[in-house]
Amino acid sequence: MSAFWARNRLIVLAYAAMLLLLLVTSLFSPGFLAESNLRSIVVLAAFVGIVALGQTFVIIGGGIDLSLPWVLNSSAILMTLIANGQDGPLLWVIPLMLVAGAGIGLINGVGVAMFGVPPIIMTLAANVILQGLILVYTGGTPPPAAPPLIQFLAVGRFGPLPVIAIIWAVLAIIAWVLLSRAAFGRYLYALGTSRTVADYSGVPTLRTIILSYVISGSMASLGGMLLAGYSGQAYLGMGDPYLFTSVAAVAIGGASILGGSGHYVGTIAGAFVLTILGGLLPALRLSSGALLIVYGVVILLTVAVGSETFGGLRTLLLRRRRN
Amino acid sequence: MSERGVNMSSMTADSGIDRPPSARPARPAMDLRALLLDHAPFLVACLMLVVIVAVYGSLQSGVFSLDELNLDTTATLTLLLAATGQTIVLMRGGIDLSIGGMVSFGTVLAATRFGGDPGSVILWSAIILAIGFAVGAVNGLLISTLKLQPFLITLATWSILSGASLIVLPTDGGQVPAWWQDFGSAAWLGLASPVWLLILLLVLWYWFRSTRLGIAIKATGSNERSAFLSGVSLTRINLVTYGLSGLFAAAAALYLTTQTGAGSPTIGKDYILPSVAAAVIGGVSLFGGRGSLAGTAVGAFILTIIGNLVFVLHISSYWQPVAQGVILLIAVLASSLAEKAARGQDQ
Repeated sequence: MSAFWARNRLIVLAYAAMLLLLLVTSLFSPGFLAESNLRSIVVLAAFVGIVALGQTFVIIGGGIDLSLPWVLNSSAILMTLIANGQDGPLLWVIPLMLVAGAGIGLINGVGVAMFGVPPIIMTLAANVILQGLILVYTGGTPPPAAPPLIQFLAVGRFGPLPVIAIIWAVLAIIAWVLLSRAAFGRYLYALGTSRTVADYSGVPTLRTIILSYVISGSMASLGGMLLAGYSGQAYLGMGDPYLFTSVAAVAIGGASILGGSGHYVGTIAGAFVLTILGGLLPALRLSSGALLIVYGVVILLTVAVGSETFGGLRTLLLRRRRN
Repeated sequence: MSERGVNMSSMTADSGIDRPPSARPARPAMDLRALLLDHAPFLVACLMLVVIVAVYGSLQSGVFSLDELNLDTTATLTLLLAATGQTIVLMRGGIDLSIGGMVSFGTVLAATRFGGDPGSVILWSAIILAIGFAVGAVNGLLISTLKLQPFLITLATWSILSGASLIVLPTDGGQVPAWWQDFGSAAWLGLASPVWLLILLLVLWYWFRSTRLGIAIKATGSNERSAFLSGVSLTRINLVTYGLSGLFAAAAALYLTTQTGAGSPTIGKDYILPSVAAAVIGGVSLFGGRGSLAGTAVGAFILTIIGNLVFVLHISSYWQPVAQGVILLIAVLASSLAEKAARGQDQ
């Protein structure tokens, strides 16, 4: 039990924070715990959760993916443009977009793993380049509406369950298996802890890094298509908020941003925390600007807690006592 | 970035402490080669600038004139000011993403708070610059006390500053006084005021880099551990480097309002990548310890003139960020290969 606590303390804390927030929010807005509202929270959290899935893998491996916003946006816009409101083409457009997202991830991964480009620079550059290319391609004109099928995937329901929640659950199980039961997961944790040690221990570091970015790219692409389905259309800039939320969800979920620790199980709680916060702020009559401030503060606070449980604060206090 | 920490500590173990670069046996032939190798990225950047200007000059008449110099400097200065802060942070071995938020925050404050009279403009300019330094100093302190990677802390403050900008001014707008907007077109001895600012900036840099602080920043960037062992306070270095980065981001914001005449809560993110790009193209190492403002200035001019080329060639202006991103990646690849080669030579 104590071993479980030591290993998963931050994840348990993340779920505790989630429940606490849920309670607090229901005090401020009475209808908050109604079934329909809970369902819409699950749907909104699913977008953050799906996009942050890839970010979790990359961060555990010691990197970061800042190209998510425009991978997401590009795939949403290209999907709606190519499908042109028809369901038929989706059969090949969705797989094509997933492969395209994976392709961007591949380029990121190769740049980071093989050419030693720092992940921030590599992925930020990919983000800007994609943004430019999409603007050149579309000329700034808005694409057609999202096809009905993808709208169904994003907002439809199977009985009481939103379809996207089922998609998310399946992805979460796959992520759990990859992290906890597959060799890839062990490689990833080893890599995030120390690349040098992983290299000498025979971990295929190049392949592992590249694969983490590939997962990140394809998940961002999937998130983009579903988000287009949710909004009924794709629009420029739709991915921008996910830069902060994906990192924040992972940080809240307890992953050390230095790599080597954390789990997707934690990120799921992080996605819920952010979504509930997003619902709480309008109830308190706070603007979108306030939401960005909260994201920033949340990232700072959680990483501060994560750094060996207030390790920073402790060293600060110790240092003061010594002086 | 986490691999870097490992590399740094292993580098410290075998080369850093007892063999600082300056203590190498001085042989003239080696010195010349080392000098060339040291300045190779800067020289390549100068060559690149010459080629791009030549291409630009062959497409557009009147490129080789004082007017063009004034125009290009006026267009480059915002980026160059932002990149100056980034250069200092990169030389220390960090990165500052929060300048994106600080540039936005500076413009919205200026556009909403500047009154018509010079007194209020001067007062609020000073306040904005002070906020820039203070926010940067907080970045530096957090990085030191939490022992976390710079990009994470500055990503968080970027988010906070963006949110604050949106609260001050939800959409593009506001206004700065007309005389404030005339700053860029004011000229003395045929040179526009931005050119004079550029000269001032370079002079200040050459003074700064040989001060104790300048040397300490560079030393910390090239080897944190040996700098610490030589008595450099890492907390103070972080506080000052990120503080200066915030200060220059605020200065960039103030200058930007003389160009746009208004504030924008989202404009800052357009300067994050280009500020890094200008520095890296100009030979500033992403791994710390190497670089100069002259190089960054060359990099910033390259990025601006590429924008001009896009305009002259009548291709969509959306290609500009694409070109900037690609050039940045090429520069980073070149520098990381050069780094590898240099490390290979050391051994």
